[in-house]
Amino acid sequence: MPIVSKTRRQTDYKLFPPSVPIVIDNGASYFRIGWAGETEPRVVFRNIVQRPRHKATGETVTIVGDFDAAMMKFFDCTRSGPRSAFDSNVVYQFEIMEYILDFAFDRLGASGSAIDHPILITECVGNPVYSRSKMAELLFDTYGVPAVAFGVDAAFSYKYNQRHGKCRKDGIVICPGFTTTHTIPFVDGEPVYKGSCRTNIGGYHVTDYLKQLLSLKYPFHASRFTWEKAEELKLEHCYIAPDYVSEARKFQEGTKEAEEKTRYWQLPWIPPPVEAPPSEEEIARKAAIREKQGQRLREMAEAKRTSKITEMENELHSLHFLVKQLDQVEEDDIPSFLSDTGYASRQELESTVLKVTQALRKARGEPKDEADEFEENTDSSEKYPLINIPDNMLTPEQLKDKKKQLFLKTTTEGRLRARQKRNEEELEKERRNQLEEERRRENPEFYLEEMRAQYKEVLERVEQKKRLKTNGSNTNGNQKSGNVGRGERLSAAKRERMRLLTTAAFDRGKGEDTFGAKDEDWQLYKLMSKDHDEDDERPDSDEAELARLSSRLQEIDPTFEQKAEGETGQTPGEAPGVRPLTEEDYKIVIGVERFRCPEILFHPNLVGIEQVGLDEMAGASIRRLPHGDKELEERLTSSILMTGGCSLVQGMKERLECGIRMIRPCGSTINVVQAEDPVLDAWRGASAFAAELSFLRNAFTKKDYYEKGEEWLGRYQIQYNTL
Amino acid sequence: MEAELVEADIVVPMHLSFKKTQSYEKYPKGQSRGRWKHLKQILQADHHPSFYINIESPPSTQPCKRICDVTGFEAPYVDPRTNLRYANAHVFKTLRSLSTHQAHHYLSIRNAAPLLK
Repeated sequence: MPIVSKTRRQTDYKLFPPSVPIVIDNGASYFRIGWAGETEPRVVFRNIVQRPRHKATGETVTIVGDFDAAMMKFFDCTRSGPRSAFDSNVVYQFEIMEYILDFAFDRLGASGSAIDHPILITECVGNPVYSRSKMAELLFDTYGVPAVAFGVDAAFSYKYNQRHGKCRKDGIVICPGFTTTHTIPFVDGEPVYKGSCRTNIGGYHVTDYLKQLLSLKYPFHASRFTWEKAEELKLEHCYIAPDYVSEARKFQEGTKEAEEKTRYWQLPWIPPPVEAPPSEEEIARKAAIREKQGQRLREMAEAKRTSKITEMENELHSLHFLVKQLDQVEEDDIPSFLSDTGYASRQELESTVLKVTQALRKARGEPKDEADEFEENTDSSEKYPLINIPDNMLTPEQLKDKKKQLFLKTTTEGRLRARQKRNEEELEKERRNQLEEERRRENPEFYLEEMRAQYKEVLERVEQKKRLKTNGSNTNGNQKSGNVGRGERLSAAKRERMRLLTTAAFDRGKGEDTFGAKDEDWQLYKLMSKDHDEDDERPDSDEAELARLSSRLQEIDPTFEQKAEGETGQTPGEAPGVRPLTEEDYKIVIGVERFRCPEILFHPNLVGIEQVGLDEMAGASIRRLPHGDKELEERLTSSILMTGGCSLVQGMKERLECGIRMIRPCGSTINVVQAEDPVLDAWRGASAFAAELSFLRNAFTKKDYYEKGEEWLGRYQIQYNTL
Repeated sequence: MEAELVEADIVVPMHLSFKKTQSYEKYPKGQSRGRWKHLKQILQADHHPSFYINIESPPSTQPCKRICDVTGFEAPYVDPRTNLRYANAHVFKTLRSLSTHQAHHYLSIRNAAPLLK
């Protein structure tokens, strides 16, 4: 059950006299604040801060605790993620701490010019004096607090439960927290910190483990597995197996018990709408629309063509008119007459006339006359009159002209030749297609088989080439274990280049490096780059072949599926985009993960943390105690308290008992109890402590702090026994 | 401020009466980075042998539990190429089809990923 935040502003602040202490449980996960003597903290929220920019005003605001997603649309959260004041379980970031305290006091209803109440605040075991002094300074200087006391949350929880008879004055408290887990032995009601033990694993790591496992198992849905979602899943589904190996075996064998324990999370999935085969009317309607569109296009094209034709006809008319006029004018007057119209000579005019008539004819769609073609060809010899005249008979100007004409002739001839070649190729292709069609008609089955075989072959070749390119060096990678990234660096082409380079470097011999003295040496680089080019070109022909075959097959073969490149069968990591998505793809299976994730509390080396787990920590704690009193140890193990939010995981009590029994001498009494309320008992214990009259003896004032200094602060500890 | 926001009251007010110096005075904009010592630095700077470090747990004396990286079952085998643990041949097939990035991720969960990538 997730912890519910309470952040409504309290209104009765003024009713509490300055002697009533304020109690704060400053945990890495949640922050709880309230009045001493009460059983419930007034304000509870997640201990994180966000500082986004307000979109409208542009100022940076502070938001503390869990945020309502709906309100977030007013803010630009791109540059501000949630931040915590904690590094592991120690407060280090006091700016964030200040924002948190601001918010907390504000919600408690604080008013006036200072916080005029003593404050009891929790800290971790062995809190470095730096953190303690910074916290004290913050409280004294910024908030004007008269007196401060520091205590350990797990200890408060133990004392509270001791008072309620759950555990005795000698015992051990095991507190799995958010980022760390502690075990603290108690002797005569006081914690013995020398015997305490801390492993850097907690609820945060369990959630993170679950998140990563799910993201790896379902990479397609990876964006769905946010940290908050993973926490929800953990709180709801995780449990601790009494024995990991046997539980895992149950799942491996797929027993019925395992089936029952597997949970499924169905992500929302809408099947793609099945398109009903279009009815007759639909088809007819669509065909009609297409017809109309085609018709419209045709009409437009027609209109354009006719307008173009009329334009050209007009031009032709005017040109003919001009020619007639020219005939009437005398020879000498031609240049002056023509200068108005923009044509230099009669020939030019005539050639333009010819061109326009040809264009007109083409536009009208009439086939080119033989005469026209002939004209063209003969034109070539006329157009380039200078070509056939040998050079020595021409003036320099004419030579220039001749060169120009030669150039023109060769280009036009080249174009003609290219056109012819294209025509021939097309005819070839047509012929080939026809042959294929005939073959297919004769023997469809056989043909199909042939095609398929060909396709498979080409596919193999392409894939192999791809594999060589990327994984080529993995066969050599056995010597270098674990260097999975080197494959890309050592493809065949690159290896070849390295080889060439090294041979070039060493080939000179005689101890001297004379590479580069001869020009031919530099040809080496040409060789290298050419090699590389070749390598890239070769697969192209194969790939083109592949594409052709696949398109052909798609036409004729009803059962053919386009094989996506690189598909290697069903794997959990495969993108389901290759085949049509089914409902199955959207079902997240949480089976083994249910008990695999909390297992890291008992075996931190599963996530690479080389420390003891919960059960062995108790043993380590006992060993660390200064005295070797056997009876004391018996008393300790018969009163073991579990507290802290993480201890709410189902199955922890049994597992702890089992585990501790294994490490203790045979026959010793083991008694593990869970705190009444593992989440709130720390605050409750602190509240009860602060409500005692002797509280002020344990707190220190600002004067104390500044007089006695940091040394003293480092040694300061509260006395938990209040009686 | 939009009316909705004011009602929801999620923002910390800029000015709080009970504070001697307000946050915006104390932390002018753009100075919060690099000003606070992290835990490692705090512990190094501590003059006395740090109690915080002393109470750390020792490494485990029990043999390390070997579970399959992908499925979570018992895993007696290790893949030589990627160093991942696997439970049986079926899982092995899956292992070989993992991308290098995924394999690396699995290893890093276990803190066993090689540093050179």
